[in-house]
Amino acid sequence: MDESKVRLRALDLFMGLGFLAVGAFVVYDGFLAFYATQMATVERSSNPGVTSIFIGGLMGLLGLVIAAIGLLGSLHPLRIARQAVSETLQSKAFYRGAIALAGIAVYFFVFWDRIPYAISTFLFLAGMMTIFKAGAWWKIGIISGGTVAVVWYVFGVLAMIPLP
Amino acid sequence: MGFEQIMVEVLKTLNLEFIFLIAAGVFIGLIVGALPGLTTTMGIALLTGITFKFSGHSAIALLMGLYVGGVSGGSLSAILVGIPGTPANASSIQDGFPLAMAGKAYQAITISRMASIIGTVFGIGCLAFLTPLLTELALKFTSAEFFLIGLFGVLISGALTGGDIALKGWVAGIFGLAIGMVGTDELTAWQRMTFGSPELFGGIPFIPIMIGFFGIPQVIEALSDEQDVLVAVLDKTKVKMRDILKYWWVALRSGLIGVGVGIIPGVGEDVASWTSYGVAKKSSRHPEEYGKGSIEGLVAAETADNSCIGGAIIPLLSLGIPGSPPAAVMLGAFLIHGVRPGPMLSFEFPAFTYQAVSWLLVATIFMRFFAMWLAKPMQKILQIKNAILMPIVTVFCAIGAYSLDIRFIDIALVFIAGILGLLFKEGKYPAAPLVLGIVLGPLVDTNFRRALKASGGDFSIFFTRPVSLILVISIVLLILGQLGVFGMIRSWFKKSKPAAA
Repeated sequence: MDESKVRLRALDLFMGLGFLAVGAFVVYDGFLAFYATQMATVERSSNPGVTSIFIGGLMGLLGLVIAAIGLLGSLHPLRIARQAVSETLQSKAFYRGAIALAGIAVYFFVFWDRIPYAISTFLFLAGMMTIFKAGAWWKIGIISGGTVAVVWYVFGVLAMIPLP
Repeated sequence: MGFEQIMVEVLKTLNLEFIFLIAAGVFIGLIVGALPGLTTTMGIALLTGITFKFSGHSAIALLMGLYVGGVSGGSLSAILVGIPGTPANASSIQDGFPLAMAGKAYQAITISRMASIIGTVFGIGCLAFLTPLLTELALKFTSAEFFLIGLFGVLISGALTGGDIALKGWVAGIFGLAIGMVGTDELTAWQRMTFGSPELFGGIPFIPIMIGFFGIPQVIEALSDEQDVLVAVLDKTKVKMRDILKYWWVALRSGLIGVGVGIIPGVGEDVASWTSYGVAKKSSRHPEEYGKGSIEGLVAAETADNSCIGGAIIPLLSLGIPGSPPAAVMLGAFLIHGVRPGPMLSFEFPAFTYQAVSWLLVATIFMRFFAMWLAKPMQKILQIKNAILMPIVTVFCAIGAYSLDIRFIDIALVFIAGILGLLFKEGKYPAAPLVLGIVLGPLVDTNFRRALKASGGDFSIFFTRPVSLILVISIVLLILGQLGVFGMIRSWFKKSKPAAA
């Protein structure tokens, strides 16, 4: 098996375990509904817990099988994961992706609803374009300002959506 | 409703306003589809936010225009830069890009456009003919059948798009079903997996999830990559329709494959075009030309992905089950605008199917002209740096999600769905079954329990009705087939034969 496949299998182990955990939670939520006192008068067959247990159980089972395939396919998943993580941390693409994600997170969770739309969006666009070297500063300024104006006109004026 | 009344209703929604909206949809779709990183699914999800204040029919007409434009637009970048604008056009690269590199880019674009028209019109014809038939059949379905169709849809979508392992497609679909079940239960008002958050009582909103799931990973991926694209030069070769009609048999077969794949819930255009391309190559007299600029191959790929549009809308309108990821997002838009697809649609809006047919036909006409006019400007647009385009896409993702309900939680959901999308991409988990699962979650859940309630908790209701039984058998065969049981049986027979001899 080639190295990329082995790495994929190692990831399968962790993602399979993730699905197993989510499935277990869905089953747990189903049991909560099944034994809730508010549901005492509801027929067992119409209880929402029925589907939760069915869907959660199925997801957990599939997650378990994927995790098993991952374990068998990678044999040493922890070692492979450590190696993959250390290699990824050295790659330039990872840092570019991480910066992009951090920029989006700042725009969504820090700027949004706290700073007026026009300022926050201009700051985000100009900042991202500068970081990723989109061109000269005046070009970035014009494109960012133009985009803010167009979005404000289309959404705020034409579609009458109250922007933050 | 008589033919005359239907025609009156159809003409009511073919006025200047609708024609303008469809044209705008096709135009936006062509650009969205052509830009690598922006898919048709994401375009529909983003535009749904803007259409929030439109009337139901006009919003849907606009989105249908975008659907047609988006699927066709993807071939422009596939041919000009060798990167598919949408997954549906990945197979068009095989022969479209080599043609462009041989100095025949304009010829390739014209051929793909004509094939797109043939495919779209074929799909629309099937939509007009098959939707009423399937609706008629669906009216006889009970909750048991709807539950099994939903489950079968998620499983077959998972099996056909799974790629690496079919199980990945299944778990993605089941995960989608679980997400679709979050919120207040329709039958008992019990709150499921809401963590006590009032914002989740109404369920997890579909559009922000789709925007995040498809948009954010593309933004991150594009910004991680420093490479900019090389664009092919356009030639001036003229192509006539009769040059394409030489391949009428390939086009017809591809159209049928496209519609067939389209009808299968949640599979979509990419599977249709690859299947059609594979079949065409296998049955071709010149398979060696495939991948080197074969016109036949380009016709096969482009006809199938476009005929899949009509095919995907057939189960959407008749059963309320979308045939492709863009159709799934469209279902979300339908519901937002008060149009509930499914068998009852023929009673609530009797002319709707034919109105949809007319909108799609108008969209096809606009697609024909816009795609050719846009070929030259697209050369320039495709050279826009990712560093400029992707931050702008992010702003649209945020505004598109926020504009639906003006809530901050939708922005947070875009981000969470984006992280999930990145994980899915990294682990090679398909998106289509997840999308279908989220859309079908409430349908599967409520129909499962309604069926059990009707039978007094007796599970035999899923086996004793003929359609249910066929669906159960299909599900079992599908699972066994994907687990390789039939292969094992075949090889066991092969081994035992020589031993007996």
